[in-house]
Amino acid sequence: MANTAAAAHFVGQFDSIPPQRRLAGRLLIALGSIGFVLIVLLQAFDAAGIVRIGFTNWRPTLYAYGGWAVLLCVGLVLARGQRGWRALFILPAALFTIAVAIFPTIFGLSIAFTDWNLASLSGQKFNGIDNLVQAFHDPFYINALLNMVYYVCAVLVEYAIAFCLALLLNADIRGRKFWRVTFLLPFMLSPVAVSWMVGKSMLETRFGPIPRLVRWLGVQTPSFFGDPIWAKLWIEAMNAWVSIPFVMILLLAGLQALPKEVQEAARVDGASAWQSFWQVTFPLMLPVSVTAIIIRTIFQLKLADIVITVTAGGPGGATDTVSSFIYRVYSDRSNVGYGTMLAMIYLVIIIVFVTLVLNFVGRRMQRMT
Amino acid sequence: MTTTAASLPRVESRVAARTRWLGNKLLIYAALIFWAIVSLFPVYWTITTSFKTARDVQLGHLLPWIDYQPSWIGWKSLGLSPDTIGTSSPTRDEFLLRFTNSVIVGFAASALAVVLGSLAAYGLSRFHYKLLWMRNHDIRFFFLSQLILPPVVLALPFLVLYKELALLDTHFGLVMLYTLTVLPIVVWIMKDQFDTIPMELDEAAQVDGLGPWGTFSWVVLPIALPGMVASFILSLILCWNEYFFSALLTSTAAKTLPVLVASQTSSQGINWWTMAAVSTAAIAPLAIVGVILERYIVKGLTAGAVK
Amino acid sequence: MRVEHYNRLLGMMASRRSVLKGAAGAASLAALASSGALGTASSAFAADMSADELALRKQILQIPGVGKGQPGDAEWQKVGEMVLGPTKANVKQGEFAGVELTFMGLNNQGQHNFLYRGFLKPWETYTGATTKWIDLAQADYNARLQQAVATGTVDFDVIEMGAPFEGDVCGKGLTSEMPDWVKTQLDMDDIVAYLQPPVGTWNGKQYRVTVDGDTHNFNYRTDVFADADLAKAWDSYSDDKKGLTKWGVPTTWQQVQAVTKFLKGQKFQGNDVYGYLDAPKPWGGFGFYFLGSRATAYAKYPGDKAFLFDEDMKPLVNNPAWVRAIQDVLDALPFEPADQINADPNTTGFSQFLAGTGSMIPWWGDIGSNAKTSDSSVIGDTVGFSILPGSDDVYNRKTGKWETLSSGPNFAPNCAYLGWGVYVMARVDGDAKKQKAAWSAAAHLGGKDLALWTAAYPSGFQVYRNSQHNIDEWVSAGYDKDFITSYLDSQFNSYNHPNAAVEPRIPGIFQYYSAAEDILANTFAGKMKAQEGADAIAAAWDKLTDQLGRDSQIKLYRAALGMT
Repeated sequence: MANTAAAAHFVGQFDSIPPQRRLAGRLLIALGSIGFVLIVLLQAFDAAGIVRIGFTNWRPTLYAYGGWAVLLCVGLVLARGQRGWRALFILPAALFTIAVAIFPTIFGLSIAFTDWNLASLSGQKFNGIDNLVQAFHDPFYINALLNMVYYVCAVLVEYAIAFCLALLLNADIRGRKFWRVTFLLPFMLSPVAVSWMVGKSMLETRFGPIPRLVRWLGVQTPSFFGDPIWAKLWIEAMNAWVSIPFVMILLLAGLQALPKEVQEAARVDGASAWQSFWQVTFPLMLPVSVTAIIIRTIFQLKLADIVITVTAGGPGGATDTVSSFIYRVYSDRSNVGYGTMLAMIYLVIIIVFVTLVLNFVGRRMQRMT
Repeated sequence: MTTTAASLPRVESRVAARTRWLGNKLLIYAALIFWAIVSLFPVYWTITTSFKTARDVQLGHLLPWIDYQPSWIGWKSLGLSPDTIGTSSPTRDEFLLRFTNSVIVGFAASALAVVLGSLAAYGLSRFHYKLLWMRNHDIRFFFLSQLILPPVVLALPFLVLYKELALLDTHFGLVMLYTLTVLPIVVWIMKDQFDTIPMELDEAAQVDGLGPWGTFSWVVLPIALPGMVASFILSLILCWNEYFFSALLTSTAAKTLPVLVASQTSSQGINWWTMAAVSTAAIAPLAIVGVILERYIVKGLTAGAVK
Repeated sequence: MRVEHYNRLLGMMASRRSVLKGAAGAASLAALASSGALGTASSAFAADMSADELALRKQILQIPGVGKGQPGDAEWQKVGEMVLGPTKANVKQGEFAGVELTFMGLNNQGQHNFLYRGFLKPWETYTGATTKWIDLAQADYNARLQQAVATGTVDFDVIEMGAPFEGDVCGKGLTSEMPDWVKTQLDMDDIVAYLQPPVGTWNGKQYRVTVDGDTHNFNYRTDVFADADLAKAWDSYSDDKKGLTKWGVPTTWQQVQAVTKFLKGQKFQGNDVYGYLDAPKPWGGFGFYFLGSRATAYAKYPGDKAFLFDEDMKPLVNNPAWVRAIQDVLDALPFEPADQINADPNTTGFSQFLAGTGSMIPWWGDIGSNAKTSDSSVIGDTVGFSILPGSDDVYNRKTGKWETLSSGPNFAPNCAYLGWGVYVMARVDGDAKKQKAAWSAAAHLGGKDLALWTAAYPSGFQVYRNSQHNIDEWVSAGYDKDFITSYLDSQFNSYNHPNAAVEPRIPGIFQYYSAAEDILANTFAGKMKAQEGADAIAAAWDKLTDQLGRDSQIKLYRAALGMT
């Protein structure tokens, strides 16, 4: 895109830094690192019982990490000047993410290769790739994975509807504020509340308002979750109801950011509304669309609350999702080793899938611009 | 004859344009109204359910005063109805404590995520990085990957981590976790936003002698504000409704609202009215934030983009 | 105010307990002879109480009075104050000053923990202790508890817990053993027989303060089964009526099936009427109890305690008895409402039965306690109760044959879940003052007079003491005599039934249920035949037993059933 060249231009700039300053910066980083490592080692020795210092918890390590992060940032600025300042944009977020995520990731991996049922008196036992093998022979897991294909495809439908809504809200209408907040409301309701208020109350086959509407339309005995296909559709409908506003807001912000001249220019050229949308607006909206779809897809891949409450995966596993299945294995059955492995496999599948999609889209977009 | 023949089509086309314009308008408003009903009806259902007794819920009564006689039942169970508001009520204390915690945790985590995320996104949008083996594209994906794991399998790791760090049942611990979960969204949204802001602005600022941080704070930030507001609202809603970790990592001091919704159903039945009242009370602050911040989602952005 | 009453009562307690023991023995004998005789046995308890105590109990039941609206915090505190007597006898005023207890329990619908807050407030005022509360939704409860135990994050001193989890908690040495003074204060002999040890104990040590009893009873619509038009239609019904010659409440599962088929398409008061409601949708493990209720009459042979597993933990779930129960569900589903495949017990109980859909369901006592309070159900007074239906024949797993008993149909009430209890965690044991405080709080909540109140008013707790079977007390509190007799009999006759099916308290029992639910859901959806589904469950259970440690599971299972 246009800014890549410019960004490269920025990278090309260097400012001269006096050697003393550079040295001071490096010293600061080294000092911080040594201090951090020292405190971690002390804590580790204390925990292992080699030395007695009397730490009650690992908070000191947390503080030490914080201190190290600050020294690192300052040191980088001193040592590298402009480049240091630039690194400062990304470092806080990166250091923060690593701090919170690194331990759970390692711990999770260490669980995934063990046989660990919390109710078992013998505790955690290493079992190599047994969990992996078991996962691929687990009909419930395979079924859930296949269902996810459907759920992910449904994101495209959500996207299409959200795009229409965003266009509507972007049109010249009265009372924008009202429409915008109204359309955003479904997203604000908690998924638990949606499952009960919509899934259980509004769809209650005898007295719920939707079944009554359906009966009034002529269907005698409406059944929403008895048939696998209808169950899938209704779960997705509820899910879409909650999620569309999320996509819609992203697209609306994108539409608002579009240069007005471009669209006006298209109109002057005599392009019809459809043409101007398809040839001007839509391509310009591609980056935002990709972001919206990617984020929404990842959320969709974690879909669980509504399914757990409304159908518990039924009928016969038709609406089961990977997350709701893992929830049953991990929470209901306390089978944490196997459950974690299921999630890790899923993680790998998703990373591969998203990477492929991003690469594909990236290449397409480069060709279009 | 000739003159009329020439002017007639013009009149006709004007009428046609006018009708087409009207038709379009009609279509737009019809669509708006349709979707507003789709959006609002379940919300209406939720709000009215908080005024329904079990009988009215189960028989699916629709219209207050016509189908059924509304009562304060849901609000009474929370100690928030007119007749209970003055008395002592453990459920109200519980509700208010959870509500306050939700506000603290939700706002703190969203604000932190927007600050960290916007900085990172600006960096990713403007500069080339190399962190270990990762380049910009990979770094952005690294943030996103934090979003992928189903939360349920993080239960044990986070329990152990937070126990060791003495962060269980603290606001700080919850804020850290929530920030982590919404950070990727902010990074992705804001990167798009910064990408749409022309580089020429930055360059002009640099010529004026502003460094990267000066450029960011004085030139780019004001333009990107709407995007930040949008991501703040989205983050806030996600944090506000987060249920799983809140149920897992809090016990007495930092507990939040969503758990209260879930606990209205159990093997003793379903308290529809209380669940509806809690849900209604829980949307209210979000709706208010939405109304207040809505205008920022739109205005400045267009101004920036046109330049 | 009532300290003197209680002091006097405590003095009498020793003598009374010996009487109670005799009465409890008599009760179980009576139950053996005929389940209907229990009512008379229970009145012995009333006669045994002093006039003062009876007066106090009467007064307690008047708060706020049946039909005077749902009690709230003010009432809970008042009741907590009135039952403080036993505590005052054992604890000096201000004795626990400075002690802070953390209590983990459920906050189901603003009950459980919220009641306890109110009940404990006067206790706190008197003893000087303070309490912090951890409230959990029932759906999170199991996972939270297991994960807290596994990661060593037990951050509570007192916990409200179901007996099925005793294996996971008491078995790991996490709970504090009950001191003798608590046993005396609780009057433990008053608790119904099936909740007596081994329930509440582990390795012979008493851990549990029982606050609740649980069983599945049979709830039916009295108006449907008294309807003249339906009776006429039944008379002219040509299919096999399975011995139900006159229109009325089925007493065997064979009749339940026949009636369910018959009712499909019939009208009652102008609406479609349905018979039995199954709950095929998984419900966090709890749904399995509902298949269990259908199966126990087939699978639980009199004199044989085993019905889920044999003595060596070999699953019995794929034997002909269980397969027949699964097949029954498959046969009945087409005659139940549309979408029934997506109904969990919560739906059948509260969205369907109480709202007027369906005429028969098994459930815990909550249906009965909910049906009566007018604003929480549509069907109101038209509910009757009995123990679960029986079966004309019963499967004898030892001979591998179906047998027809000479005594008539085989009944085997499913005492599902065994109720909630309050447990004190072992982490208070290091601090004598805190330990006493925790036990005093638990004993306060498990008190005999408090139990009467929690069973009579919305609390989430059912009857669990023989002294709660005094019909007169309930009637004087404002309950309708027929209704309450029917309700209490259905509970107590299940508890005390000689052939009651009592689930084994082995570690991870809910994992077995949860695994079975998943497979059953597929079976009910028609993906597998009944036998295939049952075999799959058995295989899954065997695998689970191996994972949990077969030898220790067998040992604990045998101990739980009282086998050696």
